[in-house]
Amino acid sequence: MKLVCVVKFVPDVDRFEYDHEKHVLIREGSRMMINPDDGCAIGFALEMKKRNPEIFIEVLTMAPASVVPLVEDILRVGVDQGTIISDRSYAGSDSWVTSRILGRYLATTEYDCILTGSQAIDGDTSHVPPQLGEILGLGQISGITKVEEDSFGSESAVVEVDDEEAVTTYELNLPAILSFSRKSKCRLPHVRFKDRKKDVTDRIKVLSNDELGFAKGEVGLKGSLTKVAKAYTRKYESGAQLRVAADDNGVETVLKFLKEKRFL
Amino acid sequence: MNRALIFIEQNNERLAPELLAVADQIHGPQPFETYAVVINGDVGSLVGQFDTVISVEDEALQAHDQMALADVVAGLHAEHQFDSIVVAATAAGKMLAPRVAMKINCGLVADVTEISRQNDKLRLVRPAYGGRMMAAIEMQGDGPVMLTVRPGVFRGPGEQHHKATQVIEPKGLRYRLGGIRQIKRESKQLSYDIREADVLVSGGGGVARGFELLEPLAKALGGKVAASRAIVDRGLISRSVQVGQSGKTVSPRLYLALGIHGAIQHVVALDEVEYIISVNTNPDAPICSLSDIVVEGDAVIFVEKLLEKIREEQINANN
Repeated sequence: MKLVCVVKFVPDVDRFEYDHEKHVLIREGSRMMINPDDGCAIGFALEMKKRNPEIFIEVLTMAPASVVPLVEDILRVGVDQGTIISDRSYAGSDSWVTSRILGRYLATTEYDCILTGSQAIDGDTSHVPPQLGEILGLGQISGITKVEEDSFGSESAVVEVDDEEAVTTYELNLPAILSFSRKSKCRLPHVRFKDRKKDVTDRIKVLSNDELGFAKGEVGLKGSLTKVAKAYTRKYESGAQLRVAADDNGVETVLKFLKEKRFL
Repeated sequence: MNRALIFIEQNNERLAPELLAVADQIHGPQPFETYAVVINGDVGSLVGQFDTVISVEDEALQAHDQMALADVVAGLHAEHQFDSIVVAATAAGKMLAPRVAMKINCGLVADVTEISRQNDKLRLVRPAYGGRMMAAIEMQGDGPVMLTVRPGVFRGPGEQHHKATQVIEPKGLRYRLGGIRQIKRESKQLSYDIREADVLVSGGGGVARGFELLEPLAKALGGKVAASRAIVDRGLISRSVQVGQSGKTVSPRLYLALGIHGAIQHVVALDEVEYIISVNTNPDAPICSLSDIVVEGDAVIFVEKLLEKIREEQINANN
């Protein structure tokens, strides 16, 4: 059985900084990491491999070559192969183009199931997994919080989506695309100390447009159907303000306000 | 004339007015016709709101089979050539819209919060980086303008002109089945909807140790309890009452922000709030700059004192 985990590396948004004068992201020093939902997809694949060592896991990502050390660490925890699609001409691709690039590679490779995250913490569109489903003609479901491990075979998978409205169980014919939520318990393990320098370079494959063969106008900003015209942080205006302390006087002030506005 | 298609999800017919408001903003002053497509849904509630309702009744089309639904929507687009397609960003809508966009070779903008124009070009504004930034997106290519919007972000018109709706029931639609079956669905006890509350007593990390105090205060004010992500992630309350980019957008008359820092991903979800009162040990917390009253201090102690005072006054009033 072969599982392909399609993942994204994202900037750590908690350490995100913005240059308000130049209106650009400060990328220097910003750490890249695996998108949390996507880490769960790999975590699940590794759980399955523990049960059945014959399972082959490939991790696929489209990213700048600088992610190689991060992919190496993923190989050091038990993933069999890392495929990085990296080409300068792909920079600036929107989700529609990104899906087409990933889809072209996936159409040439074998798999029994594709595992992804549901949502990336940077772009936050959740477009790529369903779009891959469309390109590859596969069923897809986002927000998976649990996969019944016993049911996971070559024919079908039973998954649970636990959202605020309900807990819903679905059965999908395989191959399909299962998109995990970080609310699932699956986690990408840390590299063990003894493996931290393990040489895994022979298990990494880097592909460029030479292999995928898109025409220039089909990819990157040019090929995209959406374009970021402007990015900015929102500024909020503050009106006339009353500032008080959390003492009796403060309580009185708030109470008076609540009465005046008829909340009490 | 331009044509706008609104995808109406089964059991979400109530979102029609706000999705129509989105189409209104997209087409601006240009006259346009409105179409709804509803699959195995309640057509009656849509009559009068749209120029045309496309009603598809077919038991084989399941609400969770986005591959089949996308085929149907793309087929309708091939026939009617819509200029805009609007889908609610619900869990299902977020899986459906990208498929449709891929099928009809159309750009898609997710979770749009604002629509504007720059030099006659439409700009769809959406949050990115967890709401820390806003991105204004322009469409390229020939496809229709396609977007998803979260429920509660746009507002439908209060009173509406009743339209003479034409209902069409297309036959012979072609679609593939996605190989997905729903086996079981256990609905959760639906708690209240914070989007409908006039008063929200909302707690953040600063009130984690006394979060239970918010309920009696909300009661006294005729409001509901809400929370920031810091509280929800601690498991102190259901995610359904979370305010913020990863939660809900709210528009109460009064928002009481207790121990809430107010990072941009939180305040981005405060839409047309009339009054904000914040209580925070840090008077420079971002929420404070938005507030009508800033109380500097510990929110738990403040709420205790405020509750005590309210109770005292109630007792006095009753005597």
